Amino acid sequence: MAANKVILQIRNLKKSFSGKNGEVLAVNDVSFDVYDNEFLVLLGPGQCGKTVMLNMIAGLIEPDEGEIILNGKPVRGHDPKIGMVLQRTALMPWKTVMSNVEIGPKWRGVGKAERQAYCQKFIDLVGLTGFEKSFPAQLSGGMKQRVGIARAYANDPEILIMDEPFGALDAQTRYAMEEEVARIWDQQKRTVIFVTNNIEEACFLGDRIILFSNRPATIKEIYPNEMARPRDMISEEFMKLRTSISDNTDLAIDTL
Amino acid sequence: MVKVNKKGKKGEFKETTPLDVVYFILPFISLGLVVFLWYSVSTNKPDMFPSMTATWARLVKLFKQPIMRVPYYGHILASLKRVVMALAAAIVIGVPFGTMLGWNRKLDCFFGSIFNIIRPIPPLAWIPLIIIAFGIGEFPKVLIVFIGAVMPIVINTRAGLRSVDQLYLDVGTLFDANRRQILMEVAIPSAMPAIIAGIKTATSTGWMVVLAAEMLSAKSGVGFLVTRGMDANDMPLVLVAMITIGIVGALLGVLTSLIERLLCPWLQIK
Repeated sequence: MAANKVILQIRNLKKSFSGKNGEVLAVNDVSFDVYDNEFLVLLGPGQCGKTVMLNMIAGLIEPDEGEIILNGKPVRGHDPKIGMVLQRTALMPWKTVMSNVEIGPKWRGVGKAERQAYCQKFIDLVGLTGFEKSFPAQLSGGMKQRVGIARAYANDPEILIMDEPFGALDAQTRYAMEEEVARIWDQQKRTVIFVTNNIEEACFLGDRIILFSNRPATIKEIYPNEMARPRDMISEEFMKLRTSISDNTDLAIDTL
Repeated sequence: MVKVNKKGKKGEFKETTPLDVVYFILPFISLGLVVFLWYSVSTNKPDMFPSMTATWARLVKLFKQPIMRVPYYGHILASLKRVVMALAAAIVIGVPFGTMLGWNRKLDCFFGSIFNIIRPIPPLAWIPLIIIAFGIGEFPKVLIVFIGAVMPIVINTRAGLRSVDQLYLDVGTLFDANRRQILMEVAIPSAMPAIIAGIKTATSTGWMVVLAAEMLSAKSGVGFLVTRGMDANDMPLVLVAMITIGIVGALLGVLTSLIERLLCPWLQIK
């Protein structure tokens, strides 16, 4: 995985919000590189400003300072090459699974037969064959998040951002979905930026893990993780990495 | 992993619990109580309140003997026709107008205050002006009903579009929808339940307004039957008309719920 070319450069990102108690600095001077086709995990305590950072990279909010450089060019607003799987699945309840997955190609003007055949591949990939005509309300939490992943993939992004996609799932489903994401990433290589507050999840998925401090989010340390895949969560190597990260993690105490 | 519809799939065996029996019986009990009340009032004060037999006899007579050369069902159809025409116009004009207000802040500021002043004026207060302008034909009646029906549609559509979840708009940005696509595929479907609720309110309001309008000036319609009964001191006719109004109104409510099912299938999943 190492010695890859840099696809995305984050330079000195800074963002603050005005809250009840004056200005709140959410992200402070964050810089890092993202390599082509790597699985990068951003790990940090809850409420630490990770989502703010992702929303800046995805172009949903504008940074106060700093630059986001994709393939050597600065990004303004949302770049179609960056896709996102959202924390709350954000599936549209009035659209069926297929209609939700196909919005990317549809809004780009791809013809119906072509885009549905293309999207079917990703519905199959996430294991939802047969549920194309179901509405989101008919699916379980894990299935909804699979639809979210298929939807992001079907828009053919170079970089896929996943914002705590499994935060709302129960532990069993979460383990299953972690394995699914590792499998899907293996079959359909993309650069993935995966955000989580779960150390185990980070160690299981990441090629590299960037550990963030409590708010305002600043980088504490970057952990390379070259364990062979599929990873064993109870191996000695895994435990060692997990412990060293956990010893270095700030306690997430919500001070809002 | 899939949630199954509470009602169960077709052909699936569903046990009838004692509670289901209670739910089934209760409406009949309440109807029975009303009938009993009617019966006791009309036997004790026969000159004040017409009896059930008199009302029934009046209904039968109404079938044989048209009023103003219009048969019973003709009066119902006359009222319904006015409501349907007014509702159709209210939807065609109200939904796009409400969408514009909810979607465009400038238009909302421009029209908002005028709209807020016109809104509380009851549709019937327009009657004098409308009669002077358009006479007493069919069009002025439809216009009055339209005024009553268009308000809830505009208000609900505007509110529905203003309260679209930011999350869905973000999805629009993330998947590079243009503004028209966000409006047509994100905002309007998201507002659809509110729009339908507006149409439901408009239907019941429209039905009430048409009857009131007919009571003031008409030669046909169920509202006219009420006035006719009052003028001729024919209380059984008044009651026949009132019951007709209630039943047709309830049926209109059922009809709009069916339309909601067709337009918002995702809301039926529980």
